[in-house]
Amino acid sequence: MIEPVIDILLLAFMIVIALAVVRMRDLFGVAMLFSLFSLLSAGVFTVMDAADVAFTEAAVGAGISTILMLATLTRTARRERPRAKGVPILPLTVVFITGALLVFGTSDLPRLGDPDAPIHQHVADRYLQRSGEEIGIPNVVTSVLASYRGYDTLGETAVIFTAGIAVIALLGLRRRRPRQERKTDGRDALGETTVMPTAGMADERVPGRPEKGGDG
Amino acid sequence: MLHHTVLRVVSKLLIPVIMLFALYVQFHGDYSPGGGFQAGVIFAAAIILYALLFGLDNTLEVLPPDLLQWTAALGVLIFAGVGIDTVLMGGNFLDYNRLAADGPAGQHLGIFLVELGVGITVTSVMLLLYYAFAGRNPGK
Amino acid sequence: MEAVLDILSWILIVIGGTFGIIGGLGIVRLPTFFTRIHAAGMTETMCAAPIVLAMMLQAGWSLVTFKLAAILLFLFLTSPTSSHALAKAALHGGVDPMATRDPEEPEEAEG
Repeated sequence: MIEPVIDILLLAFMIVIALAVVRMRDLFGVAMLFSLFSLLSAGVFTVMDAADVAFTEAAVGAGISTILMLATLTRTARRERPRAKGVPILPLTVVFITGALLVFGTSDLPRLGDPDAPIHQHVADRYLQRSGEEIGIPNVVTSVLASYRGYDTLGETAVIFTAGIAVIALLGLRRRRPRQERKTDGRDALGETTVMPTAGMADERVPGRPEKGGDG
Repeated sequence: MLHHTVLRVVSKLLIPVIMLFALYVQFHGDYSPGGGFQAGVIFAAAIILYALLFGLDNTLEVLPPDLLQWTAALGVLIFAGVGIDTVLMGGNFLDYNRLAADGPAGQHLGIFLVELGVGITVTSVMLLLYYAFAGRNPGK
Repeated sequence: MEAVLDILSWILIVIGGTFGIIGGLGIVRLPTFFTRIHAAGMTETMCAAPIVLAMMLQAGWSLVTFKLAAILLFLFLTSPTSSHALAKAALHGGVDPMATRDPEEPEEAEG
């Protein structure tokens, strides 16, 4: 009885955050809102009893993804450029038509969690029933992921690896500066800390004297 | 007074615990929610915390990107290697039953090795992405 | 005995929720950034602790209780540290720590 209330609350918050992400111009705040969005979706997954998925969403979305977005922000501008004035008619109609088609398409989907849905009929049933005797581990998610669908997981791992080498090929890696050069260039090893909390400035500021107008 | 005293003391307490938790999630994925992906991400988060507080140069000494490029490939190789091993033993690709004497024991071993490969690759790639983004001087 | 544990858990959860609401009110109503960190950081820990304690009471003497105690310890360590990190970053980023400044007085450097 209480579950739909929690679901509706969480999804309502997610809608509000999505609207705020679209409206905000400060990209730092947008990165933080993305992190909050991931946390709320982890909550929705937990309410649906999907513990593995919630765990992965919280770790990847609210953790690593936020860090990488903030690290990207140190390399680009911090505020989004304001868009041109006037209502864009053509993109608006395209979006409306696509949205209407999607909503019309969802009317054909089975209800959430319906046991008679086609997806639960063919192999999912076999996995759930035979996993105990064939694989022998209690966690069915791991047995499906690593054993029954191991080939897909190999593809996922290859995709992650490809993403890594693509980023390295595009951006390049910094080589570690040798110790001699680090000691003599006026900044110690601590000078490069906290790229993100100090927003890219490595030297100490005098507290109490604001350099730029902060958000009060 | 040290630079970032409170943060450094607390992170010195916590980073080993975070790494231990990552290993727990990795190897306990059979019995509780977990597995390779989550464990890799948590381990990478511990190293990134260290990099934020103690300097990227120190982190590059501990885990140089050359090593990470090797381990990223090593994870995928472990995974595919398990598959090829099962083919050599006479079964299908990634048929874990061939890895040990009876079915479930082979499945245990196969899942253990496969998740290990996934964890190693995910950690290395997350760290490489962080190095690529944070290693440059700030743009603006 | 069960009823006593249940009532105690209820009281603790309500206390934790009240602290959460107070923290939320503080974030919305307080004027400047540092006062808001003050509200959020303190009430965050005070909100989590009674709720986790209530769950420990419900779980009894089992492994779950030990895991919840570990989670509580972790929260006590990290939540104030993250508030400190936020305030420190804001100070270095140039956010003015004074809520109101009297224009007659000279500016003093804050410690």
